[in-house]
This record gives sequence, structure tokens and C-alpha cells, in this order.
Amino acid sequence: MINTRFVVPLVAFIALVFFLYQGLFSDPRERESQALAKPMPTFSLPDLMEPSVIYTNDVFTDQVTLLNIWGVWCVTCAVELPYLTELSQQGVRFVGLYYDQDLDPDFGTKTLARVQQEVIETTNQLGNPFVFNIFDVYRDTSLDLGVTGAPETLLIDQQGVIRVHHIGDLNPRVWDSKFAPLYNELMAQQSLQFTTRQTESQP
Amino acid sequence: MNHLTRSLFIIVSMWSLLTLSGLLFSHDVQATQENYAFASEQQRQDFKRLTKVLRCPMCQNQNIADSDAMIAHDMRRKVYQLLSQGNDHDQVIDFMKQRYGDFVYYQPPVNNSTIWLWILPFSVLLIGGWILFKRRPEISHTDEQVEADLLAKADELLEKDK
Repeated sequence: MINTRFVVPLVAFIALVFFLYQGLFSDPRERESQALAKPMPTFSLPDLMEPSVIYTNDVFTDQVTLLNIWGVWCVTCAVELPYLTELSQQGVRFVGLYYDQDLDPDFGTKTLARVQQEVIETTNQLGNPFVFNIFDVYRDTSLDLGVTGAPETLLIDQQGVIRVHHIGDLNPRVWDSKFAPLYNELMAQQSLQFTTRQTESQP
Repeated sequence: MNHLTRSLFIIVSMWSLLTLSGLLFSHDVQATQENYAFASEQQRQDFKRLTKVLRCPMCQNQNIADSDAMIAHDMRRKVYQLLSQGNDHDQVIDFMKQRYGDFVYYQPPVNNSTIWLWILPFSVLLIGGWILFKRRPEISHTDEQVEADLLAKADELLEKDK
């Protein structure tokens, strides 16, 4: 006959050990993104290289886009740039949301020309996956997206809705597990829409 | 006893030193961010209160008043902007929650997963109290019995020695 005085604390202890053991493998930085399944927040921002060109949410309609939040000052971004370039050569549409750390709106120290120069140098060296770069001057759009740092990558569908929000670098493992299935599905939908539109337009 | 008082004194003095240095340090941090011009004293107070209760999403256990991370800078600027636009305390909190989740506010809401933080300590207290309550009379009863037996034995021995 087993004594309950012995069994109850033992069971409680095992439960506690199991709970704490799980804690060893949890990532305290992992949080659910608030931007997921929501449309891209409205923005109106200049092109990084050509500030007279202003982009709005229209740049995401009817196209599957990967929005990469980056900056030349960010070390991990430099690591992922070659892989992003590889993906862009396979036909993935990358748009950059660029922001600069030293271009502080409160105490501006860096000129735009200097930032552009650095970006050109970096992309020449490591590859340029971007169709164009949106310049998040005051980092307002990054804040609206719940961005905490760089790099972060968003998958935006044809309707301009954010479907994946990845924090950290984009590497082959992340692409295969987190992006590729949904991306391929969205691309299949897109080509289907395209062919139906074509057949409709034929007399 | 003397040893105990001495170690107590050491603990208290170390604690007060730490608190004092903490106060000095936080004062320093606050001094560096006094570059916002507030429209009113009320707005300044709101700003101070908000930057204390909003948590920096990048640096885990710092509020945005204490953190020097860029995201904390940006959030402070946003808080200032929102206050200047006439938003109140709760509206600013909601704005940040919409973007960074419940994590960003130091007071978590009570929901299905956080309710356990309230239930567990109270249930431990209740169960512990119940066990103590159930056990006590039994123990004191046997104690009395043993004591009485021992006393009787002692009396017997004393009786013999006489």
C-alpha cells in the first residue's frame, strides 16, 4: 500500500520538474507578432535613392512581396544579404524597408548622401536583392509593424496582408520551414488568376 | 545573538546602499532625456508615468525610460507625439499594445493563461492551511498522551528511589 503522504508531493515535484525543464528550451524573446493577418499599415515614404519618388501601399497590390527590414549598420543583415540575393535571382520579389540608426530624427548627424553611399557600397559587395528600398525616415512604419530591430522579414500577399512575420535572419532553413510553403501557394494562386484573366481577355 | 545582529546590520546597510545607488542612477538616466518640450506639467507627468510602465520589447526587463536601445528612443518619441496630439494615458497604452502586444505593458491582463498566476498562490495557501488545520488536534493529543505517560513513569522512578 503506497502512502498518499509520499505520493502527492512526489507527483507535485515531478510536475514542477517537467514545467521547469520545458522552460530551458523556451525562447523568452519569442512573441506573437501583432502585425500578422493584418493589412500593411498605411504609409507614404520616399525611395531611399530617389527621395522625390513616394511609395504608398499600392506597391504591394497584385504581387507577392517579401519586405525586408534592414540597414547597413546591422551585422546580421549583412550575413543574410547574399542568400536574399540568391532568392531574388530565383524570382522572389524583395522590397527593402530601410532605416538608419545614426540618422536620428532628434539629433540628425548623418546626411542622406552618406547613407546612400553606404547602401551602394554594401549592396555592391554583398548583393542587392531589392527591387527598391523604401526609406523609413522616422521609423514610424517600423513601429507600426511592431519591429524591434533588424533584420526582420514580412511576407505580404497580393491583397497587401501580412502573412508571415519573421524576426532575425532569413536563411535556407527558415525559408524552407516558414516561408516556402505559403509562398509557393500564393504564387500558384497568382498564376491561376493571371491565366484566368488572360483567357477572359481573349476574344 | 551578537553574530545575528551584525549580519543583519550588514544586510540592511548593503540594501540601503544599493537602493541609494539605484536612485542616483535612474536620476542620471532621466536627466539625459529631458529634451522634450511639454505643453503642460500634466503632459510631463503623463510622459514620465507612461515611459515607466511601458516595457522595451528589445531589452526584456527594462522600461522605455531606462533603456537606451533605439526602439526605446523611438517609443519615447512616439509617446511624446501621441501625448502632444491630445491622446490620454490609456490611448497611448492601447496604441503600443496594438503594435507590440500585451508584453509591452508591465501590467498584464487577466486571461486564460495568466489567471493561474492568481489561482496558484491562493490555492497553495488554502491547501496548506487545510492540511495544518486537519493535522493539529491529532498531534497535540498524542503529545499530551506521551507527556502524561512519561510523567507517570518519572513519578514511578522517583517513588522507587525514595
